[in-house]
Amino acid sequence: MGEEQVRLPAELRDIIARDLHPVAPLGSPVRRAVGMLPLAVALLVAAVIVFGLRRDASRIGPFLTWGASIIQMLLGLALVAGALREAVPGTTLPRRMLGIAFGTAAIAVLTITFMTWTTSPTLIAPGYETRAWGICLTGTILSALPVLAVAGWLAARAYPLRPRIAGALYGIGAGLLADAGWRLFCHFSHPTHVLGAHTLGIVLSGIIGVVGATVVSRRSSVSSR
Amino acid sequence: MAAYQAGSIEAFEALYAALAAPLLAYLTTLARDRTVAQDLLQEAFLHIHRSRRAYRAGLPVRPWVFTIARYVWLMDRRLRSRRPQSDQELPDLPVPAEVDGLAERDGLRRALGAVLPDRREALLLHHVWGFSFIEIGQMLGIRPQAAKLRSSRGMGDLRRMLSEIARG
Repeated sequence: MGEEQVRLPAELRDIIARDLHPVAPLGSPVRRAVGMLPLAVALLVAAVIVFGLRRDASRIGPFLTWGASIIQMLLGLALVAGALREAVPGTTLPRRMLGIAFGTAAIAVLTITFMTWTTSPTLIAPGYETRAWGICLTGTILSALPVLAVAGWLAARAYPLRPRIAGALYGIGAGLLADAGWRLFCHFSHPTHVLGAHTLGIVLSGIIGVVGATVVSRRSSVSSR
Repeated sequence: MAAYQAGSIEAFEALYAALAAPLLAYLTTLARDRTVAQDLLQEAFLHIHRSRRAYRAGLPVRPWVFTIARYVWLMDRRLRSRRPQSDQELPDLPVPAEVDGLAERDGLRRALGAVLPDRREALLLHHVWGFSFIEIGQMLGIRPQAAKLRSSRGMGDLRRMLSEIARG
């Protein structure tokens, strides 16, 4: 099909020429996500260093202690890498891949919760439930904040055309990274505590990611007008 | 693209010269209004400029640019959604080479205009602008198989409508 030549308007050329300065192209999403590995490892060991390893570590064994947390950490980094890919125009993730990503995260969390509970059923002492819930929920969210900030900045530097999806991906990823460390300290394995505090923290981290990415995207589109 | 990222205005001019025409045709297909599409084209190039850092060497340029153009159209459509839309006027839609010659030009455009928008988009992206189904999938956020299905169903619809037009 023959296409006509479209002339470059002088006004557009002037705007571009005025704003034109060299920019460094972004690295690949995987490379930028791997760059967050030191932060992920720091989150993994921080709670253990500050509060100590969970009391039932010898009962559940190294796989359910460190192995499960490392799997969760790698899954969190994979979601962050997915968010950074989603943030680049022309490489958006298909719905099916998004479903697989969120589904894998949910299955991993539920499997780890169930396996830990069946291996070492630990109940919270009566009267202490609310306090334990508050500590673990707050701890998970606070631990996720540094990852949310870094991943949010990296995603915004690309050009997310679907900021809510990118935000959900890096938000859930940040929650997984935070909980990977937090579960190494918290030995309460009862599903109501794990799902009601730890998993809720992951979900809230995802919501923070969605809201944050949307706000940043709106601000940048307003400021660029 | 690398020269444009390095700050060359000549590289931007070359990019515009190479991509403005197909982008305008694509935006006309989406917006179904040439005047609106011309405004969107300028807006799309401003977005391309602001996001030029996100382009990585080695990635094909056209899916990146077309995705941004589609986003600009979506934003514009959202802004216009409160106003009544009219589909009465058919713009100068591009025609796939496979069906060019099967009917009068007007009939072809009328048939193409009647194909469902998502099927028409996939059909034109593949048959007119030559994107692979993997690229279309990445641009539209769907699987390559879904892109292929939309395109082939769009082509089926188009052929059916053309035969109806031929029968009168």
